[in-house]
Amino acid sequence: MKILTTVKKVVDVELNIRVKDGAIQEEGLQYVINAWDETAVEAAVQLKENSGAETSLVSIGGADNTDIIRRCYAMGIEQGMHIQDPAIEKPDSFTYASILQKVYEKGDYDLVITGKQAQDTDNGQTGIILAEYLGLPCVSNVIDMEVLDETHVKVSRLGDGGTEVLELELPAVVTVDVSMNEPRLPAMRGIMMAKKKKIETMDLAGLGASPEEVGAGAPKSEVLAFQETEKRQGGQKYEGDPAEVTAKVVGLLASEAKVL
Amino acid sequence: MTKVLVIADIKDGALKGSTAELVSKAGEIGAETAVAAIGSGVASLTGDLVQAGSSTQYIADDPGLELFSAGPYAACVVDAARQFGADMIWFGFSESGKTLAPRVAARLDAACVSEIIDVKLKGDQVEVTRPAIANKVLQQVKINTGSLVAVVRAGAFEAGEDVSGTENVVQLSPPETDARAVIQEIISDAEGEIDLTDANIVISVGRGVKDQDGVNLVKELAHDLQAGLGASRAMVDGGFMPHNTQVGQTGKIVAPSLYMAVGISGAIQHLAGMSGSKYILAVNKDPEAPIFNVADYGIVGDLFEVVPILREEIKKVRNQ
Ligand SMILES: Cc1cc2nc3c(=O)[nH]c(=O)nc-3n(C[C@H](O)[C@H](O)[C@H](O)COP(=O)(O)OP(=O)(O)OC[C@H]3O[C@@H](n4cnc5c(N)ncnc54)[C@H](O)[C@@H]3O)c2cc1C
Repeated sequence: MKILTTVKKVVDVELNIRVKDGAIQEEGLQYVINAWDETAVEAAVQLKENSGAETSLVSIGGADNTDIIRRCYAMGIEQGMHIQDPAIEKPDSFTYASILQKVYEKGDYDLVITGKQAQDTDNGQTGIILAEYLGLPCVSNVIDMEVLDETHVKVSRLGDGGTEVLELELPAVVTVDVSMNEPRLPAMRGIMMAKKKKIETMDLAGLGASPEEVGAGAPKSEVLAFQETEKRQGGQKYEGDPAEVTAKVVGLLASEAKVL
Repeated sequence: MTKVLVIADIKDGALKGSTAELVSKAGEIGAETAVAAIGSGVASLTGDLVQAGSSTQYIADDPGLELFSAGPYAACVVDAARQFGADMIWFGFSESGKTLAPRVAARLDAACVSEIIDVKLKGDQVEVTRPAIANKVLQQVKINTGSLVAVVRAGAFEAGEDVSGTENVVQLSPPETDARAVIQEIISDAEGEIDLTDANIVISVGRGVKDQDGVNLVKELAHDLQAGLGASRAMVDGGFMPHNTQVGQTGKIVAPSLYMAVGISGAIQHLAGMSGSKYILAVNKDPEAPIFNVADYGIVGDLFEVVPILREEIKKVRNQ
């Protein structure tokens, strides 16, 4: 089984995000591997270890994306591709999906595993659109996966009414939720070896695609401006005798907030 | 006139409140509105769909649509959108909506935007507002294509007071089943639980409640208040609470009148799912817990002491 996973480099959401004149201020930001993609990488590496799968990975983005690719090498991914092209401007999910389509078509993959969303946009679209473009079946929000045979996997996804269990015919695309697994911390040895490993770098031409073809520079939607989300103001904190403060707060919930 | 197709949110055979909210918003921006209902036995909801304020109802009612299956459901939406000539297709904030929207957009070559909280028409131009980066920022997004598929964030729009629609039912033909992604079963949520996204009061448990006994203690309070019982990721990953109770960036978005966070620290990913609540009450023994920065009312104390008193006091004020 040949697996392709995708990883995006995204802003660290734990840090302060500041906006000025409609733009996010770069100062003080740090960029990390998208948490959901790290889950996808862990899932792929587990399939390598347990079912002998071959693992490839692709990341689309600037020159500094190589550090997250090396991190994935250290986790156990065997082959990494880096797509970098100045024409890939303001990409929306459709552009990412179109580029991934080209990557997929160059390989001979049985399964694509992507994170269910990227924590910088929280859009949750790319993997699903990719499946549509490829005409492949797709299950999103996956929390469990089991290989049945060469051409079938059993997946569980979180749905509205509970956990939906599906049998999926390969080739297919799955997008995974962070609760699927606990990504491993790469060991020192892995980190050292990852440093020497080759990363295949390509631009759009190298993929056999033109910017127009992948919608680069012509997004279907684009962000005009950012603003900081209005911060909720904390109210009153009550400390002291539990019976007293609790009675006080319940009184306020009833009389002031009128929610009881 | 702009045409908006709202996809009905249906749970356990009943129409969820979000559908009327979306239809109302579509009316507010001056759009003509249709609703599509997909499932088995959904034809019986026609009256509710009309009452929500729609002028056309697309119904795909077929035993083959009993269990959610993304491919066939998307085919129904695309069929309805084409027949209606929809400029926009709006889904409620459900797992099915989140998985269908990109599929439908790809098939219709439309733009796709998730979690919108506002939409504005500026002449021919559509602009939407949505949160990103775990709700730390809002994005103002311009749509460059003629049509838009959007998922509306829970609690973003309000249902109008006296809306009424007209009955004009269009039956959709049942789509083919998806032989490559076959749904086998749905392991359903516990019966009789109150739906978090519709609940007026939501009480969530965090790692502070420790174990199943702690969960049960809070469950009693939730029962008294007929509140939905939610959880932080720590409690879901720990196996104490079902997955579908997780509130936050990767779980449910809730906006009840009252949200009680019991033994929850208030991580950014949790706040992303509940900071739209009208009032927030936090119970935490750590006075420095970040949850207090967003809570309207905070009780600093041991939840095992506080929760039983909360129950008693609430009973008292409710009996007055
Ligand atoms: C990509 C990603 C997505 C995530 N998505 C989500 C999400 O959707 N939802 C979510 O919730 N989290 C999410 N998380 C996890 C999040 O970062 C936090 O780890 C999680 O919310 C912590 O849960 P908690 O508050 O219950 O636990 P903790 O942070 O451990 O807090 C427990 C709290 O209980 C208090 N406490 C302990 N004992 C008592 C007592 N006896 N009485 C009163 N108070 C007590 C403590 O003071 C503490 O504040 C996500 C993380 C990542 C990386």
